[in-house]
Amino acid sequence: MNADNPVVLEMRGIIKRFPGVVALDNVGFDVRRGEVHALLGENGAGKSTLMKILAGVYEADAGEIIFKGRRVSYHTPKQAQVAGITTIHQELNQIPLLTVTENIYLGSEIMRGPLVHWREMHKGARALLERLHLDIDPRVLVGSLGVGQQQMVEVAKALHHRSDIIIMDEPTAALSLREIDDLFTIIRDLRAAGVAIIYISHHLNEAFEIADRLTILRDGRHIATRAAADLTMDELIRLMVGRRLDEQFPKETAPRGKELLRVEGLTQGDRLRNISFSVHAGEVLGIAGLVGAGRTELLRAIFGADPIDAGAVYVDGGRVPIRSPRDAIRHGIVLLPEDRKQQGLVMGMAVRENVTLAVLRALTRGPLIDRRRERALVGQYIQRIQIKVADPENLVSSLSGGNQQKIVLSKWMATEPRVLLFDEPTRGIDVGAKVEIYRLINQFVAGGGAVIMVSSELPEVIGMSDRIMVIHEGTVTGFVGRAEATQETLLEYATGHRRDEGHP
Amino acid sequence: MERTAVTSPSTGARSMRSIGRFLSNTGPLLVLLFMLAVLWTLSEAFRSPTSLMLLGLEAAAIGIVAAGQTYVILTGGIDLSVEAMVSFAGVIAAILIAGTNVAGGQIANGIPSYLAILIALSAGALIGAFQGVLITGLNMNPLIVTLGMRSILLGVSLVITNGAGINIQKDEFLSFMTQVIRIGEDGAIRVPMVLIIAVIIYFISWVVLRHTRFGRYTYAIGGNETSARLSGISVNLVKIRIYAISGLLAAVGGVLVMARLVSGAYQNGTNMTLMSVAAVVIGGTALTGGKGGIWGTLVGVFIIRVVEQGMVYLSVPSNAKEIVLGVIIVLAVALDVLRRGDIPWLRMRRRAV
Repeated sequence: MNADNPVVLEMRGIIKRFPGVVALDNVGFDVRRGEVHALLGENGAGKSTLMKILAGVYEADAGEIIFKGRRVSYHTPKQAQVAGITTIHQELNQIPLLTVTENIYLGSEIMRGPLVHWREMHKGARALLERLHLDIDPRVLVGSLGVGQQQMVEVAKALHHRSDIIIMDEPTAALSLREIDDLFTIIRDLRAAGVAIIYISHHLNEAFEIADRLTILRDGRHIATRAAADLTMDELIRLMVGRRLDEQFPKETAPRGKELLRVEGLTQGDRLRNISFSVHAGEVLGIAGLVGAGRTELLRAIFGADPIDAGAVYVDGGRVPIRSPRDAIRHGIVLLPEDRKQQGLVMGMAVRENVTLAVLRALTRGPLIDRRRERALVGQYIQRIQIKVADPENLVSSLSGGNQQKIVLSKWMATEPRVLLFDEPTRGIDVGAKVEIYRLINQFVAGGGAVIMVSSELPEVIGMSDRIMVIHEGTVTGFVGRAEATQETLLEYATGHRRDEGHP
Repeated sequence: MERTAVTSPSTGARSMRSIGRFLSNTGPLLVLLFMLAVLWTLSEAFRSPTSLMLLGLEAAAIGIVAAGQTYVILTGGIDLSVEAMVSFAGVIAAILIAGTNVAGGQIANGIPSYLAILIALSAGALIGAFQGVLITGLNMNPLIVTLGMRSILLGVSLVITNGAGINIQKDEFLSFMTQVIRIGEDGAIRVPMVLIIAVIIYFISWVVLRHTRFGRYTYAIGGNETSARLSGISVNLVKIRIYAISGLLAAVGGVLVMARLVSGAYQNGTNMTLMSVAAVVIGGTALTGGKGGIWGTLVGVFIIRVVEQGMVYLSVPSNAKEIVLGVIIVLAVALDVLRRGDIPWLRMRRRAV
């Protein structure tokens, strides 16, 4: 890229607050034509929020966006797209039961009178795909394509809209190595054609490989913008994290007790194949793997949320049948889901009602709920888990992500569980609250419990686990001890390039 | 590490919110009082004890049906079968009491009315539970299941009565149920027994919904079914019981209508589905479930009744009744959407300003 390329986009002084959190605090950066600009930072650093403001999903509380020399503000993603800013999401948002052509032209169909001009559209779609060197028939259903190809179709759609800026949010998360290579070729072509690309990724190596400049955010603040050539990996990590690893993950090792939970031969269609492991009292077992490897599915299967085809679960050495979440809870196994709002909480209910939802049986006297005991219990957990809430009668929807997570945790702690299945414990939580969640995990295992933790953040898995199980396409590829765990080793197992004996 | 802001809204914001909550809780009640005041001033006939008694009498049966509907809508479902259940339960009870079918053809000796009513109510609860099983066990859409059941129940009522009402004789029990209690000197205040029954049902429903585990689960399921299931709640069992309650209360309403008309006929429940849903929504319960309450529904029922009766007293032609009712229902749903603030183009316009 030529450093003299004109600036196509500038964001200045962006401030965005959510209830209880300042997500972006006076953030600004600029993007030039024909540039690949990586946006880096930990979870909760504010990358996605910043991009959602740019793309018209959120409205900033303050600040301005200057795009192609004009001050703009978009209220819907559609407006932003028409203006030339397209987002390619982590979760693809295409309609699987429509064809490639229909998806590309969705909302901008070529018409001949009142009818859709199919011939013209197929021709256009084919031309776009050819520009991307893709051998895809525009008439096939998008659902029949692989994830990588679906992503390319999104790129084609962005080209169709003559986008000046394409935002790619974790584009490689679900791609194979070959597909990543293809994607990078296309990104380089786009760059040569003058398109600016904002590239969000957790994989720092990728960012170094593809980006011209990097902007680092931390805790909702702009930390630095540098040319990739002027930055080393060490420096980058220091900028992103801003503190030492042991401050970030206050891991305390608890004495390892007897086996609490054992899973044998767990199988669920193609998603989970013959998975066996055990976890002991006082232990945090981390589960690492790529998106789609079956991490969440594994936790849900153990919890009885989804049916399994084969396998057995043993608690305290005895086999227990788990056919529903209720069975699991009865045996002291609870799940903290990755999507708290959709699966962990009832947002329209008060803090009190959410905390006691799983233990009402114990709070019922005769036919009625004992309100006094209920309030006492809630007060106790607000203290113990340190939930910051002015009044337990407030709706949980008014709390920050960290406090919401603590409410889910309180709900389960009240059932006195022995094994926590913890899916993405700190997703969408700001840094201060993250450390509090980690301390609660420490406390729990110190008290003789066990935690099985799934996380997309390798540093988190490495920082908080005693032992790490890596899965790849639904099978276990290996176990790594805390001492030997590095991001590189875990990735080798996670991509299936390395497999331990006994884990075919 | 104290960066997490404590979520204590400013006093201004909080008082705004509590005013909002106050309005959404008491708004329907204020509307009802306003309407009563207007009618009281404008119509002399309305001021008579008889017309007030009639208001309570008319509100009772539909009120009980709407109470059942409230449970269902709180879980995010809907029961379109209630009007058919009202007719069906009335017809079943009438046949058993009179021992006749098809407009007078004697088939057996009648049985005591309390026994007949017990059978009709059990049938209502069982049919309701069966709908619940279809909705949860087979994952069928409640709209379709209850719409289908509505047709079936109306059809059965029509077939076994051959379209005519089945007339009964009141026995002691039925007379007791349908009496009007006179209170005060010279019995100036008259309270129909059915209204007392309705109020008792509302009170029990309030206790069930607000103070029992089952009630809490009902709100949780309406608020977020996935979270409820993952919290260990047997969602299907709760929902089956919910539809059973709706079936049961619709049958109670049906028996009371039948007793008052001393006749079980397939038209007894006409319009009651629409009115019950409207009463629930007017009363502030969200159609999406999880929010609202039973007392709001009672207010909603009275609002509908006052409008209907008001039109009579203000000499609005009775043929126009349907139009006004329709408008009220659409307005109530519009209110429900507004309360949630869920109108995209309005929101966008506000942001664009």
